[in-house]
Amino acid sequence: MKKRNWTPYWLILPTLIYLALFFAYPMVRGLILSVWDDEASLRLQSTASITSDAAGDLPQGTQIRLLDRQGNLLSDEVADAANLLTEQWFLATGVDVEGNNIEGWVSENRLRIREEAEDGTPIMGTIRRKLGSTADPLTDIHESASSVSPVIAKVEARTELFVQEVATLEVWFQIEGENETGETLTGWVPSRFIQVYGDEESGRIDRANQGAFTLEFFEKMVNDRFFWPAVRTTLLLMLFIIPAQFVLATVMALVIQARLRFNSIFLYIFSIPLGVSDLAVGILFFSIFTQNGLLNSVLQGLGLITQAQPYLTADTRHWILIAIWLAELWRATSIVMVIVVSGLQAISDEVLEAAELFGASFWQRLWHVILPLLKPSLQVALILRTILAVQVFAVVIALSGGDIVTVLANETFRQYFEFRNGNVASAYAVFILALSMLSAVFYLRAVRTQQELS
Amino acid sequence: MAEIKIENVTKRFGDFTAVDNANLTIEDKEFMVLVGPSGCGKTTLLRSIAGLGMADEGRIMIGGRDVTYLPPRERQISMVFQSYAIFPHMKVYDNIAFGLKMTKVDKKEINRRVNEAAELLHIEELLDRYPNNMSGGQRQRVAVARAIAMQAEVLLMDEPLSNLDALLRLEMRAELKKLLADINATTIYVTHDQIEALSMGDRIAVMKDGLVQQVDQPTTIYDRPANSFVGGFIGNPPMNFMTGQVQKDNGQILVKVGDSLLTPASFIQEQVGKYEGDSITVGIRAENMETLVDPTTDAIPVTVDVVEPLGSQNLLTVRIGDDRVKVSTHPDLAVRAGQKVWLRFPAEKIRWIERQSGKVLYS
Repeated sequence: MKKRNWTPYWLILPTLIYLALFFAYPMVRGLILSVWDDEASLRLQSTASITSDAAGDLPQGTQIRLLDRQGNLLSDEVADAANLLTEQWFLATGVDVEGNNIEGWVSENRLRIREEAEDGTPIMGTIRRKLGSTADPLTDIHESASSVSPVIAKVEARTELFVQEVATLEVWFQIEGENETGETLTGWVPSRFIQVYGDEESGRIDRANQGAFTLEFFEKMVNDRFFWPAVRTTLLLMLFIIPAQFVLATVMALVIQARLRFNSIFLYIFSIPLGVSDLAVGILFFSIFTQNGLLNSVLQGLGLITQAQPYLTADTRHWILIAIWLAELWRATSIVMVIVVSGLQAISDEVLEAAELFGASFWQRLWHVILPLLKPSLQVALILRTILAVQVFAVVIALSGGDIVTVLANETFRQYFEFRNGNVASAYAVFILALSMLSAVFYLRAVRTQQELS
Repeated sequence: MAEIKIENVTKRFGDFTAVDNANLTIEDKEFMVLVGPSGCGKTTLLRSIAGLGMADEGRIMIGGRDVTYLPPRERQISMVFQSYAIFPHMKVYDNIAFGLKMTKVDKKEINRRVNEAAELLHIEELLDRYPNNMSGGQRQRVAVARAIAMQAEVLLMDEPLSNLDALLRLEMRAELKKLLADINATTIYVTHDQIEALSMGDRIAVMKDGLVQQVDQPTTIYDRPANSFVGGFIGNPPMNFMTGQVQKDNGQILVKVGDSLLTPASFIQEQVGKYEGDSITVGIRAENMETLVDPTTDAIPVTVDVVEPLGSQNLLTVRIGDDRVKVSTHPDLAVRAGQKVWLRFPAEKIRWIERQSGKVLYS
């Protein structure tokens, strides 16, 4: 049998772990968040137990009638849930109606605590009187802390009972409500999912435990009043930034490739923006365009304007866009340049010399030889730049505060932090992802290299 | 008319002088080969002629026109590059047509010339293909076709065969020679391969350390090298060099090599005589010595160190004094290593070389 070489597999193991942890998991989570409503409907149980058979699902928000209630032992996980209704039961000793000494469980509805220890632990109480003539005047003592457990004794009102132990129970309601198809369903649900109205007889389903696929978050996103402005601005910025950047980057790369005298200085100057964070660039350009900023000082100094002009205001949106355009141009052109320079260096000198020797002028060489041979590099840069342009964020925030001019990434941020709506934020993120992927596919097909075509 | 005149051309890279005051005239329609070891400046000189690196000093004339400071495209030249420099993003047809398109030649004329060039190089069936999956030989043909399609009067070739494997190189050498004879352009061909130089050139310019050592026809270069470098560089095996002592005996100039005496030919006696009492270098080609297995009075006795049978000849390595000497013998001559043989030196084939300058003495 051929011996298998496992070394490469060991070597890719960290990559796989990395991919799973930092790529696949957040991606999948994000995707799920955007289309999966965790609390679409509430499951009704046939009896007041989570393990009992399901009696159907009612959607979140359904108006319901409360038919009955019952206590169940409370698990710690749900102890601090909102809407949670609890009741306390006491293990008590005393004398029953027949004069026997008994020990059993009684609800706080039936036992009024009369004496408490200093720390609040109940010690002794008396059985409440039952009101109304039709009811059984005696109070049931149960075997365990549940109204459905067997009755082991009955006690009269005002009987004194001594509390041995306290149990906290979660209230379950038997509810009745209509589902989407108009069918009336009845079943038991824990109180923590229910908002009970003042009449204690009706309420609504406030939270839910059954997830379902939904496009509701995307609908919310599209209907958001910031959505279309954000899309428009993002695309507008892409449209103006990317072509300008590619022309600039190619010129810069050609300058470097020309091996002028101060070649390395050019390279250093051109690469400075690579090391500056986008927020810093935003703040830098803010300091230029703000009313007391560099631009106004220079213009005033030159005598071109007499009064400082406001640029970054709601009335001058075009100036904000110009400032963003300039900042992005300054910030992100160098990465394109680096890619184009490396692409230029991959073109053999002899090929360029041959073009020159066979009569091509500089522009002919650029058009017929250099640009076609740069295609693969330009393609990579174009994909990278477009993806980054779709994600433009910090510069916009710094220059506009995120309200006057807004972009998709800003809306994602706003949905998540301002409106605490992770689902709609995810929908925005998925939308950005889809835009990025679409543009990448478009470039891969549109800017094909000759080698791929042959 | 495209005569190329190189006058006092010097090219430096920093402190390094790549071409040192080169003077060379290439006649119209002549095939000139520049040959020399790597770093001798032959490619630099060619690039100066092409305009791909301007000469620092001197003048380059093509067809009576001073082109020293003209850009390449105004020199009306054509070139084959060492790495072929095929445009990888163009089909073979467009590669060949490139120069013609750039100079705005009529479409029909382009088509005619491309097909003609492709036919000459037998690559008609490649015209529609991209070069990226073609063999070295095919690329080579495309590069040559592109160069000749220009129909320039001057064709420059920079080691065009050096990237091919040995067998293909041999084949292309003959084909190129015939092709270049047919197209009748003034050609400068750079190579480091002395066999290529000998077999192809009308004339050869041998270069070393930026200096042109000798310019002449191949047979002359081979037979009458100007100096010991040319003798040692041209020919395989290279010329043998031995140290000899010049002495006079009864008015006769004799040279003592090892334990034996050689007599210079009468026409060179006087020249060699100037070095009487001094040492001189004796040069002779391997095939110019006669090997005898029986003792002979006018031959030098030597012991064979190594016998290398090469099929068409046997190459013997023998020791004369302190010098190793390669001798070419007929393959039928049965000689074993360790055997004693007698070498006869024909006087007119011996080259006498001044020790310091390496200059070969001629009458």
